[in-house]
Amino acid sequence: MEIKNKTLVFENKRWVIGSVLLSLILLIPIFTLFYKLFSYRGNSFEYLWENILWDYSFNTFYLIFITAFFSLIFGIVPAWFISIYEFRGRKFLDVVLYLPLAIPSYIMAFTYSDILSFTGPIQTFLKKNFFIISNFFNQDYLQIEILGIIMALALYPYIYTVSRLSFSMVGANYINISKNLGLTSFKTFYKIILPLSRPAIFSGLFLVLMEVLNEYGAVKYFGVNTYTTGIFRAWFSMDDVGTAIQLSIILLIVVFSFFYIEKYYNSKRKFYYRTNSKIQYLTKLLGLKKYFVILICIVPFLFGFLIPLFFISNNVFLTFYKTDFGDLFELTYNSILVSSISSFLIIAIALFFLFVEKISKTRINYFISQSISMGYAVPGAVIGLGIIIFFTYLDSLFYSFTFLGSFILLIFAYCIRFLAVGKSPIKSSLEKHPDSYDDTAKNLGLGPLKLLQKLHFPINKFALITAFIVTFIDLMKELPITLILRPFNFDTLATQTYEFAVEEMIPLSSIYSFMIIFIGSILLFFLKNLINKQANVS
Amino acid sequence: MYLEVKNLVKYYYDDIPIIKKLNFSVKKGEIISFLGESGSGKTTFLKCISGLEKINSGTILLNKTILNNKNIFIKPQNRKIGFVFQDYPLFPHLNLKDNITFNLKPKFVKNLDYMISLTRLKNLLSRYPHELSGGEQQRACIARALIREPDLLLLDEPFSNLDSNIKFSMRDEIYKIIKETNTTTILVTHDINDSLNIADRILIFKAGVLQQYDNPVNMYCEPANCYCAKVLGDLNQIDLDNKTFYLRPENIDIVKKSKHKVYIEKCFFQGKEYRVTGKINGHSWCFFSKIPLKLFENVCISYNPKDLIFFDSMCNNFFE
Repeated sequence: MEIKNKTLVFENKRWVIGSVLLSLILLIPIFTLFYKLFSYRGNSFEYLWENILWDYSFNTFYLIFITAFFSLIFGIVPAWFISIYEFRGRKFLDVVLYLPLAIPSYIMAFTYSDILSFTGPIQTFLKKNFFIISNFFNQDYLQIEILGIIMALALYPYIYTVSRLSFSMVGANYINISKNLGLTSFKTFYKIILPLSRPAIFSGLFLVLMEVLNEYGAVKYFGVNTYTTGIFRAWFSMDDVGTAIQLSIILLIVVFSFFYIEKYYNSKRKFYYRTNSKIQYLTKLLGLKKYFVILICIVPFLFGFLIPLFFISNNVFLTFYKTDFGDLFELTYNSILVSSISSFLIIAIALFFLFVEKISKTRINYFISQSISMGYAVPGAVIGLGIIIFFTYLDSLFYSFTFLGSFILLIFAYCIRFLAVGKSPIKSSLEKHPDSYDDTAKNLGLGPLKLLQKLHFPINKFALITAFIVTFIDLMKELPITLILRPFNFDTLATQTYEFAVEEMIPLSSIYSFMIIFIGSILLFFLKNLINKQANVS
Repeated sequence: MYLEVKNLVKYYYDDIPIIKKLNFSVKKGEIISFLGESGSGKTTFLKCISGLEKINSGTILLNKTILNNKNIFIKPQNRKIGFVFQDYPLFPHLNLKDNITFNLKPKFVKNLDYMISLTRLKNLLSRYPHELSGGEQQRACIARALIREPDLLLLDEPFSNLDSNIKFSMRDEIYKIIKETNTTTILVTHDINDSLNIADRILIFKAGVLQQYDNPVNMYCEPANCYCAKVLGDLNQIDLDNKTFYLRPENIDIVKKSKHKVYIEKCFFQGKEYRVTGKINGHSWCFFSKIPLKLFENVCISYNPKDLIFFDSMCNNFFE
């Protein structure tokens, strides 16, 4: 037997080399932090170990636990009810349950802290009408448990989205078989549907955990010391870069552990079931049960969107005369501009990586694809720190040009952090199309560039639009990276909201919060319709 | 020869080749059927010919041009080979006409009307793939491949996704189109009936090795080994003088008296005659009868000893 060339021959070498180089650029902040950790000489680790590490670790994990617990409840239960029951307002609730995604966690935290404060509407109402019990409600609400529930209200849509899709995909056949085997609705749910949907729910939960680890504005406002606030404090307040790096690495280890657990769990628990081939007939609800189900579905929407929106709108109305509209338009323009440019770049980069992975079919590109996806799991503060350290060094080499404080760095950081967000819808869309499309196109004379332009671009059009919207919404809400890397005298709606809030001027911050929510909600409505059309969700 | 494949070896990540030193050639205008079980490497072979996969060693020549050898690799887009894939991949964002003319060089546009009338797609040109039946999609794929006047047409299991009614008419139709355009064709299939219906020559492929390459009649009457014999049709095993022989069902006659008796287990009508299965000396047999036979009774049969087929003892393992 003659076997001449045993080395792995991969196709489209230029594309593969391009993707390797680009991925190395995107991983610069992470490499820099690890390099600095090992080259750093100082005694800050003893200080970290003896004084703050345990406090930061306990708070971080406790906050994660509370947020995860409530997010699961707010996400899974309504998703199940909406997937199997027919009741008045079901379609409306299905759309609006996504809307808390338009409200950043920090705005939710500022709003609820104001609602619950001594001068807020609840306590004022109680003092006026029920003075005897008002003292009981006069508490310090800036507690980690309250923060966990507030963050769950802002983040549960990540779990709702995947659960809703998964419950709908598992579909009628399994439910009918379960009924035929004598299982009640509840038993069908926890014995069949929940185990089959567990990998999807776990991916949603992973996103929630990453958002909690990344959160800065809300935890800072509530005075909860987590790893992320620790990085900011060590770096900006104490000017202790060593501690900031060490905390970043600890945070990265936590993040990578979650990342690994998610990958491991999903690979072990991945079920290959037949997706919903039959229309799932919804059970019509009658009597008290109907009101109970509606109430359960309304609660997350009410507390996660309607009440904060009402409160913010009221503040906007009350402070309308104080609003500097010139400033508002400028900040809205800034937010839209920077989010649009970054989203566009992110989609282009994500498409490039996924396309190279598809045409080259090498392990290298699979590994690259996995590595760059981790960016979403890396908190903004860590990415910011890595970039600043690296570019401070680079700036010292090129005296004539300064990277720090330029838009390029801000957009670069967004690309690292949000690449996975843009990648996800494009990846699912590419996976839906059979390899024979590519083979046929090649057979009909298309080279890689034309293949991308004439085939993948048009057939993945909806996925590209979806990816753009999802990334844009996330970028509009982004805070920690923008705070760290924005150019001098450059503000966005998010940074202005944060700055007013930390100055205890929440009513004045409301118009900026309102703009973020307004733009996000419109895009989410559009996106939800697009997804429902594409996925044919019953 | 028009297409020549010499010592073709193909493997992926390990040293276990999918195709081991394959040698064969095809004449201009011939239809060759590449017959093998699922997973035997048939599609990989087509991908090697079309350039979608590189070969590890050997040579592929088409019309005296080297397509792939140790030093040369002509890209798929430059090979002039039409490929019709198993799952009829029409691009979903294009209508039928745009699919057929996708990336078509201007010099071939003149073929459009002829190809559309040949494949009877005239009234469907503005439809999108999801608005077409399986048969229509398949005809569109064939039109898309043939409009470019390919030097070679590759058909990968073109009938496997069709139900039997459409399948038979499609088979005839494709045969007509290919013969009318005099296109050299390789049809990959796992169904012997498809091969017998269309192919001028059949290539039987097993475990990466060519077993036999011949015309259908020779293949049926003079199989190279047990595997080829079995692939081409049913065989009944008979032990005589401590040797194992085989007999085709159509060579068995029902008689009134004989030393060979078959215990009937099943008898069903299949159109022209009855197909009978039963047991003789522990072996399962099948043969044909003009009249229905009673179940669970013995029937006497006879045969002409000249029709017995004998293979060496190694070959018998194929039937295990």
